[in-house]
Amino acid sequence: MAELTYIEAINSALREELARDRGVYVIGEDVALGGPFGATKGLAAEFGERRVVNTPISEGAIMGLATGAAAMGLRPVIEVMFVDFITLAMDQLVNHAAKLHYMSGGQLGIPLTVRVQQGAAGNGGAQHSQSLEAWFIHVPGLKVVMPSNPADAKGLLTAAIRDDSPVICIEHRALYWTRGEVPDGEHTIPIGRAALRRPGKDVTLVATSRMVEVALEVAGTLANEGIEVEVIDPRSLLPLDLDTITASLRKTGRLVIAHEAVEGAGFGAELLAQVQEAAFDYLDAPIARVGAPFAPVPASPVLEQAFVPGAERLAGAVRKVVLGA
Amino acid sequence: MTSELNQQEAMELLRTMLLIRRFEEGLIQTQKSGISIGHFHVYIGQECTGAAAIALLEPQDKIATTHRNHGHLLARGADPRRLYAEILGKAAGYNKGKGGTLHATVAGLGFLSTSALVGGAVPLAVGAGFAAKQLGERCVSVGFFGDGVLEEGVFFESLNMASLWKLPVVFMCENNSAGALGQSAGEYPGSTIATKQLIDVVAPFGVPASAVDGGDPRAVRDVTQQALARARNGGGPTFIEARTVRWPGSRPLWPELSTGETDVAFAWEPDRIPMAHRDWFANDGLIRYVRQLFDAKLANTKEILALDATVRADLAKAMRFAIEAPYPDPASALDDVFA
Amino acid sequence: MLRLLRTMWTIRAFEEKVSELFGRREVHGLLHLSIGQEAVAAGACAALRTTDRVVSGHRPHGHAIAKGVDIASLFAELAGRETGCCRGKGGSMHLAAPTTGFVTATGIVGGNVALALGVAFACKEREKQEVAAVFFGDGAGQSGAFHESLNIAALWKLPLLFICENNGYAEFTPLSAHTPISQLARHAETYGIPSATVDGNDVLAVRTAISDAAARARAGGGPSFIECMTYRLRGHYEGDPAKYRELSELSDWKTKDPIRRFAATLVKKGTCTHEQMRAVEAEARASVEAAAQKASTGAWPSVDEVTTLVYAG
Ligand SMILES: Cc1ncc(C[n+]2csc(CCOP(=O)(O)OP(=O)(O)O)c2C)c(N)n1
Ligand SMILES: Cc1ncc(C[n+]2csc(CCOP(=O)(O)OP(=O)(O)O)c2C)c(N)n1
Ligand SMILES: [Mg+2]
Repeated sequence: MAELTYIEAINSALREELARDRGVYVIGEDVALGGPFGATKGLAAEFGERRVVNTPISEGAIMGLATGAAAMGLRPVIEVMFVDFITLAMDQLVNHAAKLHYMSGGQLGIPLTVRVQQGAAGNGGAQHSQSLEAWFIHVPGLKVVMPSNPADAKGLLTAAIRDDSPVICIEHRALYWTRGEVPDGEHTIPIGRAALRRPGKDVTLVATSRMVEVALEVAGTLANEGIEVEVIDPRSLLPLDLDTITASLRKTGRLVIAHEAVEGAGFGAELLAQVQEAAFDYLDAPIARVGAPFAPVPASPVLEQAFVPGAERLAGAVRKVVLGA
Repeated sequence: MTSELNQQEAMELLRTMLLIRRFEEGLIQTQKSGISIGHFHVYIGQECTGAAAIALLEPQDKIATTHRNHGHLLARGADPRRLYAEILGKAAGYNKGKGGTLHATVAGLGFLSTSALVGGAVPLAVGAGFAAKQLGERCVSVGFFGDGVLEEGVFFESLNMASLWKLPVVFMCENNSAGALGQSAGEYPGSTIATKQLIDVVAPFGVPASAVDGGDPRAVRDVTQQALARARNGGGPTFIEARTVRWPGSRPLWPELSTGETDVAFAWEPDRIPMAHRDWFANDGLIRYVRQLFDAKLANTKEILALDATVRADLAKAMRFAIEAPYPDPASALDDVFA
Repeated sequence: MLRLLRTMWTIRAFEEKVSELFGRREVHGLLHLSIGQEAVAAGACAALRTTDRVVSGHRPHGHAIAKGVDIASLFAELAGRETGCCRGKGGSMHLAAPTTGFVTATGIVGGNVALALGVAFACKEREKQEVAAVFFGDGAGQSGAFHESLNIAALWKLPLLFICENNGYAEFTPLSAHTPISQLARHAETYGIPSATVDGNDVLAVRTAISDAAARARAGGGPSFIECMTYRLRGHYEGDPAKYRELSELSDWKTKDPIRRFAATLVKKGTCTHEQMRAVEAEARASVEAAAQKASTGAWPSVDEVTTLVYAG
């Protein structure tokens, strides 16, 4: 085990996969220079600019390029600098990458990985702070993972690169410099398997990405109040490990869902629907979800802080589900 | 063709250029002092382009700009107090703290938006040109954007429509990578665009295009004046490439005052310029302009220093105002989502 | 020479048959026929190798046939049968048959160009002297994806042939209402991409231009742009009455029908006789009939197939 930052863990996954498989390419804006956050640092020097490829600022063409190359059997890993910019590449992602395998009757595989970071941190304002994972889980053919710690960042990215379908690896910018133990050497985490982050018997708290950290903090606080919170990190939103969640509900009977994206039509809404279809009988209380309010992300530090769902709001929601109104 | 500036106009142009330079130097220092500002971009080295071009606009004209927007806002007359306040996320900011540096917008001054997406400002500018033409207004829409925008497809889609429909639009491309890798050898201006010259990409669209020294106010005025006249007379769009050399302190996320503060006396005492930055200041539009004023005897050193001192004092007050101004009520995060 | 003629006749016969079957509701969907443009597909693909790759757009039948995709599997695909090249999941605008080098088609105007960029990137990386070719219309020339792709292809010297079928219309609108440019090859010049504008109804001219471009790409010379001036003799889609164009324009172009023109040239040059010409057409029609017949007996896919093959592996 080594202690790495989240961004170092990503870097190490990329390095190992570039070394392991000649078909892996890292492509994106400034990636040969290390990228704006250092995810691709040193890779161009080690593997050459033929495999760590700087592109023009052409998100649409980059996504198309990676999709076409993947259809030919390469394994491109592209970086879209901010999820907000993926809007410019949605045609290629949604209409092509996600569907070519299906539309071709299985003839084409699209082993494409899209790395992208998101989240409100550092007052970037409304075009550099969104959380858009819900857009992608609405698209059959895509897989969507959201690592919440360095070990998962490495394990999920490695699995994504080896997957034969397009996988979007959504990182959280605020986690980039957080540290954690990462297994040495090859480390993969199967896509579609949730992680139990803390056991508890009173309520299940499903949290994604950076909200896992917040959920654990809340669980600690509430333990002092006699509420035992079970924290589950789905890690992969699509495919979703519903079994782990329903198994937990069987024990707790209560569910709170937390994500940083706005609540409306978010992952929480989808999970809520799936849970009530699959596990209605286990439920002892209405399900609560906690996400950002339905607004663009404001720039001002105080407004941004008011926007991002924090520990206090989450704790309030959990208390309400456990103790009633 | 271009009218010569009279002394008052010449000094006003200098005031605008100094205002932008000092505004951003102040911002960098404030950020260094530990006050939270989102990542931001500076216009240092490009002041001449924005100041000279925007001075020619009429009140009804529209502007769309990018992440490198402070200079455009100030040149158009934005109040530094409210602009600093916006950048610091205060309620007194132009956008009540919701926009920040990346989206600071002053609608009352004809700003459509500041788009932080590379290429985002261009279709907006074309849209304003379309509206002006539909409404029969004598208004011109000016889009300011960087050279990187020529790599985005939306630029071409927008340019095509502007040309096809002869919209009153000025495409003002601020190429701040001039002198970068390979260009002197007549090669690509960067590693990311396969043309010898940026203006080559415009030629097939039949849009008149010219490249000028973005640090030369007279050159910028000349081409801008022609472009505005063409747009107002129904002649359609124009593309201008204003070339400047990137300021060494212009880091992608948080700029640094690596050259130190600019000393206007560099203009008449070049020996004072730190050795490491002689090349950059030799090209700096601001310093060159000060020297021109001085040489043309439009201003003496005392007047220039006095103007600079006034600008600095005003900006110091503006920054104090912004720092002391209250933050918005957190509940206001939900205001203005819908009109 | 006869091979070119055969390919063109096969495309023509195939699409006429498709039109007939569409009228009888035996094939389905939004169908864009390339009747009148066959010389581009036939000439271009004749200059390519089997291992070269082709990406097409919403008007792809001719390109697929010319690249060697089995026509029975194409009929079956259009008829929604399990025996279709995409098991009935693709349909007319999403044909794919990678084993023949026909990578895929797409219904997104401009989307094909960006995809082809990646195909060319992979061709280059595979170092087997393969080239990629993309067919797109004049309408795609106004899309951002097209411009981004030109730049990147030039920058990285990708072995990509941009084959523009300039048929003068995008849906119901003439090119002149979409852009001030009449020759899209002008955009290629911007990036220093060698370009040629050829008579797209002259199959030999197309073949020559594509051969030159392919040779250049194989030798590491990067992309080329070949603009083929042509015309579609049918509506934009099956069912389009095409009232937006003058009848004189149509009849003018009918005299330039690429198949009849080429046949006449061959006869004039003495390469072959009238009888041989007619035999080529008859054979093409017969093979198309047989393929259509075969396709019509193909099984429907099981409804369980709706949710299969969403993910690979
Ligand atoms: C669509 C999009 N892609 C990428 C970025 C990240 N980004 C911010 S500034 C920048 C460089 C822009 O260069 P240029 O247009 O020349 O403007 P400059 O910063 O040089 O003024 C990039 C790539 C972005 N903001 N938007
Ligand atoms: C992105 C996109 N926009 C619009 C359409 C609708 N559409 C289908 S074909 C077409 C015209 C395409 O014209 P052109 O590229 O010249 O090809 P042609 O039909 O002439 O072969 C349009 C606009 C589409 N399929 N995709
Ligand atoms: Mg067309």
